[in-house]
Amino acid sequence: MNVDSVYPKVREIIADVLVVDEKDVSLQKRLIADLGAESIDFLDLVFQLEKEFSIKIPRGQIEKNARGNLSEDEFEKGGVLTAEGLLSLKNYLSEIPAEHFKDNMKMNEIPMLFTVETFCKLIVAAVNEQTVTEKAV
Amino acid sequence: MRFLFVDRILELSRGEFVRGVKHIGPQDPYLCYDQQGKLCFIPSLVGEALGQLAAWNVMEANGFSMRPVAGIASCARLIRPTYVGETLLLESFIDRLDDTVVQYHSVASVGSEVVFTLDGALGPLLPMDDFIDRSLVTQQFNDINNPGEWPPLALDIRDTLPDNFVPNLVPFVFDSIIASEPGVGLSAEMKCNPLAPYFPDHFPRKPVLPMTVLLESKINLAREFLELSSFSKQYKVHELRKIKMKDFILPGDVVTCHLTIKSHEENKLVLNFRSEVAGKLVCVLDLIMVLS
Repeated sequence: MNVDSVYPKVREIIADVLVVDEKDVSLQKRLIADLGAESIDFLDLVFQLEKEFSIKIPRGQIEKNARGNLSEDEFEKGGVLTAEGLLSLKNYLSEIPAEHFKDNMKMNEIPMLFTVETFCKLIVAAVNEQTVTEKAV
Repeated sequence: MRFLFVDRILELSRGEFVRGVKHIGPQDPYLCYDQQGKLCFIPSLVGEALGQLAAWNVMEANGFSMRPVAGIASCARLIRPTYVGETLLLESFIDRLDDTVVQYHSVASVGSEVVFTLDGALGPLLPMDDFIDRSLVTQQFNDINNPGEWPPLALDIRDTLPDNFVPNLVPFVFDSIIASEPGVGLSAEMKCNPLAPYFPDHFPRKPVLPMTVLLESKINLAREFLELSSFSKQYKVHELRKIKMKDFILPGDVVTCHLTIKSHEENKLVLNFRSEVAGKLVCVLDLIMVLS
């Protein structure tokens, strides 16, 4: 499973959740800035993706994945990303153009970066993790 | 006029399950007539009662610091109306709960007959203090939290209405149709009256239009659309799907609703609703109608 294989279904779900035309959805589109997503849409989207792919996506999973091996304090201080945290985020969200990141970025600004591809990657990671867990059991 | 619909909580398992009852009496302020002209509880408010029941569980679990608000529901099925004299057994099952959102599903029954189901409900949790005083909501909970069994006999009581009974009906309808193309779609407008009876309870510190009031208004709008369209077949409401409340609607707001036919098959009609306030999308849903 990879981004290409999950993209058609993710695209269909995003179009449905955001009530936009499927042809307006592409991998590079940002959910908030380009497709008009609001916070309730993210809840809806995660719920629909969980149902479709039979996975669980804990709240804040993207931020957690982006943090990697950094501690919470190393990643952010007082709701603002540290330099190390920003680098880690850039590395994780490699699909997002560098100009969309900014210094002293706030944690609550991270969702502004999310693209359709970000969610495809999230699905692939969650499915792979679940497969590993199932094999271990 | 209260907008709280759980009469009594019979059982509560924190963060997991809650069961309660709501009796539909002739003095109930939220009644309407069904398609046969029989007095019943406003159908969408069964969904409100189920949502409130789930909310009691969630709020008790977090010490009344956060409250869920209407957000999303995958499907609300209106199986049959609930009539005056009947008692609704309400059950809500919490599928997931964290500090940001609750996910649940619910069932309402009369006796052993399921009359309403709610699936895939998601409610964001917001700070209680923004909506209502914590001591007030705690008191409201304590008033109805009375674990035990509802007397079985009460479930069989059928109140009889006096011949000259005149119900106090609160119609949930749009004020006016502003554009209409029979058989294709229509647009309607609703001015949210700040004096509407549901605002004091929903909510004292931040009055917002209950999503279920909007849903019932849309169901009634669909009936108007059917009348205007003069389809050769008769349809009835089956279920609401993909319901999403994207923003609060405040007293004084003007809601514009656009209804269009999404699909029309021989036995099924699917209507799509988009509601806006000042051009901003606030609510979307599909209404599934089947042959009556």
